[in-house]
Amino acid sequence: MIEDDVLATHRQEIRRGTIVLACLLILRHPGYGYALLETLESCGFAVDANTLYPLLRRLEKQGLLTAEWNTDESRPRKYYVTSPDGAELADILSRDWDELHTAFTKLRDDE
Amino acid sequence: MTTLTDRYVAEALRGIPEGQRRDIELELRSSIADAVEVRLRTGEDESRAEVEALAALGDPARLAAEYAGRPLHLIGPALYLSYTRLLKTLLTTAVPLVFLGASVVGFARGGPAGRALWEATGTALTVAMHVAFWVTLVFAAVQRAPSMRDRRPARWDPATLPELPARRIDRTSLIGGTSVATVLICLLVLVQLYGPVPVISPGLWESGWLYLAVVFAAVRIGFDLVGYYVGWGVPQAVAHAVMGLAFVVLGVWVTAGGALLNDAFLEAMGWPEGVVTWVVVIVVVLMAVNDSINGFVRARRRKA
Repeated sequence: MIEDDVLATHRQEIRRGTIVLACLLILRHPGYGYALLETLESCGFAVDANTLYPLLRRLEKQGLLTAEWNTDESRPRKYYVTSPDGAELADILSRDWDELHTAFTKLRDDE
Repeated sequence: MTTLTDRYVAEALRGIPEGQRRDIELELRSSIADAVEVRLRTGEDESRAEVEALAALGDPARLAAEYAGRPLHLIGPALYLSYTRLLKTLLTTAVPLVFLGASVVGFARGGPAGRALWEATGTALTVAMHVAFWVTLVFAAVQRAPSMRDRRPARWDPATLPELPARRIDRTSLIGGTSVATVLICLLVLVQLYGPVPVISPGLWESGWLYLAVVFAAVRIGFDLVGYYVGWGVPQAVAHAVMGLAFVVLGVWVTAGGALLNDAFLEAMGWPEGVVTWVVVIVVVLMAVNDSINGFVRARRRKA
């Protein structure tokens, strides 16, 4: 019987590294803070708002996202979109992910 | 927007550099408004919606720290081990010596021995607290330097591993050293009080200066304990040697001045005073030199 805390920690650990890749992929189409949060949640990536918003800023500072204020709608919103550097990183991370997937499958099948 | 959001945003903007404030504020307000709107759509009551949305965002101070890239710890994993090692070295070398020095000064000034010891303890504690405070402050400041942001700990070199036994002095040495020091002091006291002829001159005994010998023995035992429980290296050996030097200087000064030995004792021994003085001086010097050399040998054992 696994304790809830232990289970939650391990599940969180395995998801933690995936948020950046998920954001880079989702933001190939422009998106803003709260909508991105909802999209991530519906895809199964649970992330806190107070982690996501600073993360978006950090990615923008690192040049992986470009941001633009959109004043068309009722509320001004800051839209992020994946930059070319960001797309490149997304490719690298996706390849890493695939390699890991192959490795895990092989490990499981070797049983 | 109502004042709750205003209060939240104000807290979350604390410590954010001027250039980014406007941008972060607009985005944050926008995100909060979005969250509230979603809750309103699902039929939640308006005041509840705002409270819940802000609660979901969490402690604004955390948000501010994340935005500004400030660490939420005083000293992080990269610096922590260096910090504890430095603190241990400084506390195990400086504090015993300060205690010793303050005792000597206290005794030299005259007055009751108890007060000298009490003040020496106070001084030693004050020094210990200052060392701990300033070292911690410096490390906390370094942790907040911009280059430390994503620093990984420095690569560890196996050559720095200490020799076995892991505790730099082994248990037999510890017990031996402590016992010898204690037995000598007890012997001295017993002979003085109950022996046929007191060895130490009564004037010196009564003035309480001999308590200084007890202080030296205590500091010596303290160094042994440090070597057993904390570790022994060149800094500790140096401090130990300084203590030995102080012992020699005081011992020789007191003996050569004729103040140490009781005249009655000298008569009973039948040796001329000059000879006895030299014997005592030589014994004291040899003891201190042997002890100090031992200290350095132990420290040397650490290198490969």
